[in-house]
Amino acid sequence: MRWLRNLGAKILLFLAVVLARLTFRLSRLLAKGKGSSLPGMVALRICPGVLKVLAGQVRRGIVMVTGTNGKTTTNNMIARIAAGAGYKVAANLEGANLITGVTAALIKNATLSGRLNCDYACLEVDEASFPVVCAQVRPDIVVVTNFFRDQLDRYGELDNTIKYIRDALEKLPSGKLVLNADDPLVAQLQTAGAGKQVVFYGFGERPAHRGEGKGKGDEEQGVREARFCPFCGSPLAYAYYQYGQLGNYRCPRCAFARPEAGVEAVRIRTAGSSSCLILSPEGPVPLTLPVSGLYNLYNALAAFAAGLLIRVRAKEIGNALQNYTPATGRMERYHYLGKAILLNLVKNPAGFNESLRVFREAEGNLDVLIAINDNAADGRDISWLWDVDFEVLQHCHRQINCFVCSGTRAEEMGVRLKYAGVPLDKIIVEPDLEAAVDRILGAPGHQAYLLATYTALWPVERKLTRCCQKEHAYAAHMSSVS
Amino acid sequence: MLHICHLYPDLLNLYGDRGNVLAYAARCRWRGIPVTVHRVRRGEEVDFRGMDFLFLGGGSDREQNLMTEDLRKRAGALREAIEDGLTVLAICGGYQLLGHYYRTREGQVIPGLGLLDFYTEAGARRLIGNIAVEIELDGERVKVTGFENHAGRTYLGKAAPLGRVLAGSGNNGEDGREGARYKNVFCSYLHGPLLPKNPALTDYLIRTALKRRGLPELLEPLDDRLEATANQAMLRRLRVI
Repeated sequence: MRWLRNLGAKILLFLAVVLARLTFRLSRLLAKGKGSSLPGMVALRICPGVLKVLAGQVRRGIVMVTGTNGKTTTNNMIARIAAGAGYKVAANLEGANLITGVTAALIKNATLSGRLNCDYACLEVDEASFPVVCAQVRPDIVVVTNFFRDQLDRYGELDNTIKYIRDALEKLPSGKLVLNADDPLVAQLQTAGAGKQVVFYGFGERPAHRGEGKGKGDEEQGVREARFCPFCGSPLAYAYYQYGQLGNYRCPRCAFARPEAGVEAVRIRTAGSSSCLILSPEGPVPLTLPVSGLYNLYNALAAFAAGLLIRVRAKEIGNALQNYTPATGRMERYHYLGKAILLNLVKNPAGFNESLRVFREAEGNLDVLIAINDNAADGRDISWLWDVDFEVLQHCHRQINCFVCSGTRAEEMGVRLKYAGVPLDKIIVEPDLEAAVDRILGAPGHQAYLLATYTALWPVERKLTRCCQKEHAYAAHMSSVS
Repeated sequence: MLHICHLYPDLLNLYGDRGNVLAYAARCRWRGIPVTVHRVRRGEEVDFRGMDFLFLGGGSDREQNLMTEDLRKRAGALREAIEDGLTVLAICGGYQLLGHYYRTREGQVIPGLGLLDFYTEAGARRLIGNIAVEIELDGERVKVTGFENHAGRTYLGKAAPLGRVLAGSGNNGEDGREGARYKNVFCSYLHGPLLPKNPALTDYLIRTALKRRGLPELLEPLDDRLEATANQAMLRRLRVI
């Protein structure tokens, strides 16, 4: 009878993989999506154990990345580091990070008989799904990037999310943790690491160009999530902040303080590209990233720490990161008739503030598109827009020609800008995403910054891809237009 | 000069509620009415009677407990100021705190300040979603919109409701009432935040404050077309119009 049960299980697995593959093909064909979650959903329906079976076949290790911001980028970087070192990698690179997306990623790398051929699985896991995924897949390395307020209506409050992740980590019998030392909400998870190796990463200094004394008023500090010690509730004392609640903190009452980082960045520069010197047990390694933004350096540090844990040499890691190309909507660049266009995903105040900082540092004339949708994947509640420091635009709106507000909540985005002090004649409300992109392409600025929430991102990207191709044809005789 | 008091801005800053203070201040300044915003943290001195508009937001459970403890010490002074006509806007957690108590799912009773006659009990599931409410301001009916997200079910005693639910759940999802109102105290579950999205209410709260100071109440009209389109778009989506 046992052989019959085994055969039954094998047939189910086969069916799950085949039908998932078919779904993948179909959804691509019908252009309904990128085929990144639906196949997983199909497979889990047919064979609920499919994830466990596939994950059990990963040869060297499973790396999971969770946290609020930077999961996709960090995971992609780790996958690149592992692939660069010659390993075969399975990863959910496109940000589909629920259990369905994780399953789909493994199925893509499996044979029809359900055999997985990979050394490392690099899995980005949604913070609310982390306990569910951990029940099926035991990670060898868990990277936690940061905790910011994100889509609260889906998850309940941040404290709960952190508690669930802590519980899931405590249940893991072994493994290694890579934690952000600069985020007190993440660093507190070190106590969930009993019997596990913990590696901290962080910035060893405050980047020089971010002037002191700026974050004085609450207008600037609106997004700081954890001003209180997670252990005793006293207000934390900060020597300095990086952004949000990230920085060098210490609890004046109990022993909690920013832990010393085993992987630490110093000599940090972030204008145009970003660079730093990474100090680790392997000695100092200079790093240059082709993308800007402090948060990308954080992602790179997390990936660096994970890379060391899977025993890739520091220099090799540096090389892999140097050639990193961003995933969809993570600072993607386009060109349209000589106009430089930057597309970035926004989903919470901390990330949005960093995006605003990037275009404050830009030179010349700009056009800005902000596309806000409120579908389930974006978060139905858009109140968080009021926690973004749009007030900083008061210092730079002169160099911005227009703000085109788009998406299902275009009008409310307009209202937000009005109360941030942006002149009414610069605020254009165009709920239709394609029409909004058209307005940006036709606007007079030399550069355009496009910021979009998750479900608004794909339509904007599709439209941009189409226009850039058109531009290629038009500009075939011109040189150096990419 | 109007004095705005933002209570516990460091603790009660969920769901963009600070937008209420931004909007109140902006709509005063745009009309040439000077304002000062006082951000009052735990343990810091404040003279409630010298204030013109007091804002109390909501926070996560931990933060809410920290501030309840502090506010309880100030309850007497706050009651006097309210009886004296201080304009107050309390949202979500701040709203619940002004009533008699909050009963958790486990049956624990957290006493409130008892400044308004209502009580709150935690429900089994959170009431979450876009909401439209009709409120009456100076005899005129206004449809306000926002987003609610609360586990508490609030039941009013003698306190009047702020408005009538057109779409969404409101106080408890049962009696069609939203928020509470007593003298110049306005309580609501609407995030969004409430004031920037609903300028008629904001202006009304500015007028009540001016009136208490004996200042002219007539407010110069502003260009509110953006707010109006946003409001209309949401009302259409909720099939209220």
